[in-house]
Amino acid sequence: MTPFKLQIITPRGVFFKGETENVIARTTVGDVGILAKHEPYVAALGIGKVRIKIDGQYRLAAVSSGILKVGLDKTTILAQSCEWGDKIDVERAEEAKKTAEKRLSDVSLSANEHAVAEFKLKRALNRLDAAGK
Amino acid sequence: MPKGNMKSIKRRIKSVGSTLQITRAMEMVASSKLRRAKAKAAILRPYFNALDELLKEIAAEKKDFATIFTAKREVKNRLFIVIAGDRELAGGFNSNILRLVSSNSADDSTPPKIIAIGKRTVDYFKKYKHDIVAEYPYFAENVKASQCADIANIASDLFKTGEVDEVRIFYTAYISALRQDATDLKLLPFDTTKEKAEGITEKPEMVESSDHSDSKIARFVNYDPSPEAVFDRIIPMILLSIINCACVESFASEQSARRNAMESASDNAEEMIEKLSLQYNRARQEKITNEINEIVGGANAIS
Repeated sequence: MTPFKLQIITPRGVFFKGETENVIARTTVGDVGILAKHEPYVAALGIGKVRIKIDGQYRLAAVSSGILKVGLDKTTILAQSCEWGDKIDVERAEEAKKTAEKRLSDVSLSANEHAVAEFKLKRALNRLDAAGK
Repeated sequence: MPKGNMKSIKRRIKSVGSTLQITRAMEMVASSKLRRAKAKAAILRPYFNALDELLKEIAAEKKDFATIFTAKREVKNRLFIVIAGDRELAGGFNSNILRLVSSNSADDSTPPKIIAIGKRTVDYFKKYKHDIVAEYPYFAENVKASQCADIANIASDLFKTGEVDEVRIFYTAYISALRQDATDLKLLPFDTTKEKAEGITEKPEMVESSDHSDSKIARFVNYDPSPEAVFDRIIPMILLSIINCACVESFASEQSARRNAMESASDNAEEMIEKLSLQYNRARQEKITNEINEIVGGANAIS
């Protein structure tokens, strides 16, 4: 497959920069696959996994909310956070999951607090999922 | 300075000397913290630049945005996000930024709501009984994206619900090692017509050049699900990143201001020690001369 340029940028710096053959990302409206010479395209990413094919091998990364932008000469993913599936701190994710679950069982939460806790739970689940646990 | 006796001069030299040690140490601490803050800014910058670029592309394609973040309303209530330092002894750093805030809110009929970042800011606005929505003392040194997200959420929620009609951020921009400017920037409603989000992006001294500018700007881009939806997604991200950058930059400015203040304090202390030593030596010489005179006078009287 023809490779194309991809970069993933987070507030912690440039997470990935290089060539890839295929990117599969979960947007807010469903999964999209990007191959070389895709038309210009911009989509909002939810919490989900991004699969990146490098040298015929798929690598999995957990992304929490961001933007996918396919330009003429390169594809960019801007994400709040991004981690490789095999480098995720499973213990910390478990911890976050438990905290969020506990928080969600509290009925006195305001709608906003509830949304935040739900977001955190989703993120923790996503990270665990990406880590293959 | 009146000529004191030798003992008191000696004591003063000692006390100035120990002050000198403190100012020297603070100077060095500040410069190492400044270096770290600069490195942090360099990490944040690519993200910010990429977001800004994307925003411009969308804005270039579609001018008439009617999303909630761009809606201009009559400004009655304002929210100020104010970033200042946690500690004093940084020259005019804290007072400059706070003065800018008060001069900005002087004509308001209702005083602005405040999100205070930094211990000094919190203290100041508490003292003058402002309406503090949220406070973050000891924050700028170890900024966390999640906390910046909280601030961005609070601000955009207040804006969305109509409790405030304008959100501004006050921080100290790092221009160079010798110059830091108190800056005020409008965050919401978001102005898409502006060329750059503001000066926060391009600081030759803060970062090496980044290579994000797409040479060709894509036309007829497909937005999924819609340009507005993507735009509404980007705004919170860019707010967060502006707040994050502003905190880091403000911290760099604080350290730089402190380093300069401490540098001149050390210089002054050195000068003072020099003067005092001269005085001390003179006094000692005078004393010796007097003693010799006395001895010679005494000897003369005997013979």
